[in-house]
Amino acid sequence: MSDSAQHAFYSGADDAAHAVFSVEGMRCAACSRSVSRAIGDLPGVARVSVNVATQRAVVDWDPGKTTLPQICAAVAAAGFKVAPLEGAAASSRRRAERRAALKRIGLAGLGMMQTMMFVYCLYAGGSHGIDSGIAQYLKVAGMLIATPVLWYSGAPFFRGAWSDLRRRALGMDVPVALALALAYGASVINTLRGTGEIYFDSVTMFIFFLLAGRFVELAVRQRNLSATEALARSLPASVARLEADGSTRRVAPEQVRAGDRLWIPKGAVVPVDAGLIEAEARVQESLLTGESSAILKRAGATVLGGSVNVGHAIKVEALRPVEDSMLAHIVRLLERTQAERPTMARGADRIAAWFVLVTVALALGVAVLWWWIEPARALPAALAVLVVTCPCALSLATPAAFAAATTRLAKSGLLVTRPDALERLARADLVVLDKTGTLTSGAPVVQVTSTHSGLSRADALQIAAALEFVSDHPIATAFRPFVSPDRVAVAIREFAGKGVEGTVDGRLWRLGRADFVAQLGGDRPDDSAGGVLGSAAGVAATFAISDGLRDGAKNAVSQLRELGLQVVIASGDDPKVARDVGRQLDVQEAYGHLKPEEKLAFVRRREEAGARVLMVGDGINDGPVLAAASVSCALADGSAIAQAAADLLLLNESLTTLAQSIRTARQMRGVIRQNLTWSLLYNLAAVPLAAAGWIAPWVAAIGMSTSSLLVVLNAARLARPQASVPARRRRLPGPKSFLAEVHP
Amino acid sequence: MNIVFLLIPLGLVLLGGAVWALFWAVDSGQYDNMEDASRPVLEPDETPH
Repeated sequence: MSDSAQHAFYSGADDAAHAVFSVEGMRCAACSRSVSRAIGDLPGVARVSVNVATQRAVVDWDPGKTTLPQICAAVAAAGFKVAPLEGAAASSRRRAERRAALKRIGLAGLGMMQTMMFVYCLYAGGSHGIDSGIAQYLKVAGMLIATPVLWYSGAPFFRGAWSDLRRRALGMDVPVALALALAYGASVINTLRGTGEIYFDSVTMFIFFLLAGRFVELAVRQRNLSATEALARSLPASVARLEADGSTRRVAPEQVRAGDRLWIPKGAVVPVDAGLIEAEARVQESLLTGESSAILKRAGATVLGGSVNVGHAIKVEALRPVEDSMLAHIVRLLERTQAERPTMARGADRIAAWFVLVTVALALGVAVLWWWIEPARALPAALAVLVVTCPCALSLATPAAFAAATTRLAKSGLLVTRPDALERLARADLVVLDKTGTLTSGAPVVQVTSTHSGLSRADALQIAAALEFVSDHPIATAFRPFVSPDRVAVAIREFAGKGVEGTVDGRLWRLGRADFVAQLGGDRPDDSAGGVLGSAAGVAATFAISDGLRDGAKNAVSQLRELGLQVVIASGDDPKVARDVGRQLDVQEAYGHLKPEEKLAFVRRREEAGARVLMVGDGINDGPVLAAASVSCALADGSAIAQAAADLLLLNESLTTLAQSIRTARQMRGVIRQNLTWSLLYNLAAVPLAAAGWIAPWVAAIGMSTSSLLVVLNAARLARPQASVPARRRRLPGPKSFLAEVHP
Repeated sequence: MNIVFLLIPLGLVLLGGAVWALFWAVDSGQYDNMEDASRPVLEPDETPH
């Protein structure tokens, strides 16, 4: 597996290498800054991006100047642990992290309850009279419990604060560790002296509530991560390769080379992008495109790596090795986007660092002030200030929402390739849709407009299909579905630019332009549109040939309009065809005959006029136009993903998903705003109360944990599918489909 | 009143026992997967393929 991880997450040429790895131990913005500084200072590093929310670092560097081990060493020297991303190891590391966290929380919780009992006795004893010997005994017992809680459960705070200080950075662990050390130190001294207040209950409660808050954060973060890791891990451990002598051999997916023939049994996952050798196969690509129904593939079609064979067993021929297959590209893109931090988050990080400094200074000021007024209250008030402030909510507000939104979108089939794209998507107010390949499937559709001399529509289509059978003209594909084994054309001749001629059922037919058909005899048909089928007896049928609208195109356009976006069609095709598609979709503005540079100029003009354009194209022919728009989306097939010119890649080629995604992006923006507002309001309200001595230190611990929890949970709402009717239906499948999901 | 001097250490021993039991449960993997444990109920014992 470690080899595959290298392939999937490290890609290198002679002068430019790219790697994504996970960095353990980052807790806040300050940590991510020190990691990126540690890596960025190395020679030859072109770009480094570190994300706390996903615990990842992405590095582009020149392998001639710095090696990967040197980068790992630099991160280790800064006080963090580097681990390559890989399925099995990552999940066992996650399990270890989770277990350690649970043990810490458990110990802190049990210790907290016990010390609270002792302290209650002391309080009660204080008012009712208590034997000083027993009081001292209870204090010592409290110390016995608080000590292991502090050193075992509280260790992460001290380790975090220590590595922050060593790097001369201020993270959110610094005030927490300071508060813990002060409270514990003062209590121990007072216990040994035999007089004065003790805060063992506050110490254990701090630790318990803070750990509980972090545990939920950990759980949410791990859930977001596991969506990408599920992709990377979806590949089978081994695959049956058909050898030249006809035998099969089990090999690792990484060993598969282009041209290898593979045997995929029912229910198995196709390991690499491969061509289908069998006549047909049913596969499910839900992992890649979010489309959950099975797709019928015919001989020669590409079966994507990561799709599940739900039909009978098939033979395929590998087209590309694992690391070049679409799945690997998707994983790489997701890694890259989730590791980068949106611009908004970077701003919040800088504020958070100042925030900690101000907190510590403020706590010091509060302590000094209370010392003059009432010395006994100086320590509790300072502790409350240190603990109640919550820079974590501030620095988590944006990345948590972003990670949840990208995860959600990836599941529904939309890949975000740039971190700021979602923000721009949320603001878009004009959609420019390319026609061919975007609104239309690119495959022409034929319709019978009229029949003459008693020919049935079905017969007309069958005769036409027989005539067009050998032709490779694009229009011929429209007739393919109507080919019948009973009707075969003989003596077929093609006339370039005019049509075809052939004999079907003993009669000579022509199919093509009206004047060409009319040469056989009979009348010229009056409507010259589309194709004409005729024989010596005259015109038999006329056809209209149009680009087929994609499924759901109409629905998608109306959804986009509901979202308040203006819809425009810009096509390179005949203006008449563009307007026709526009009419079908109720789009007034439909332009045709636009060359790529005219499309570019069109988008620029609209942008200058103040519109924020969302350009949707097929991603191959309109790269510059996509780049000019404020946000761009490509309907991508396997090849286009590697190029990734667009901000967003629509993997399932369904425009309805795009409309949904705009909704999600707007929700994300709303959630970020709520989160930032909340953390600002919370801190503004809590700090003065704590400084005034109105908040007990343990209440402060609850306040801080709840505040960062609220932010994370609010963001996690985004990862859930919307409660629209179809989404809910998908969530509650009938018994049969549920079983099919569990045991594909 | 002197019974307190005996009961408190006894409480601490019980606390130690509870902590030990929790650590054992976590280490033996009982909390590793909280979601899927409820699922097998809905599945048949064997799935025909």
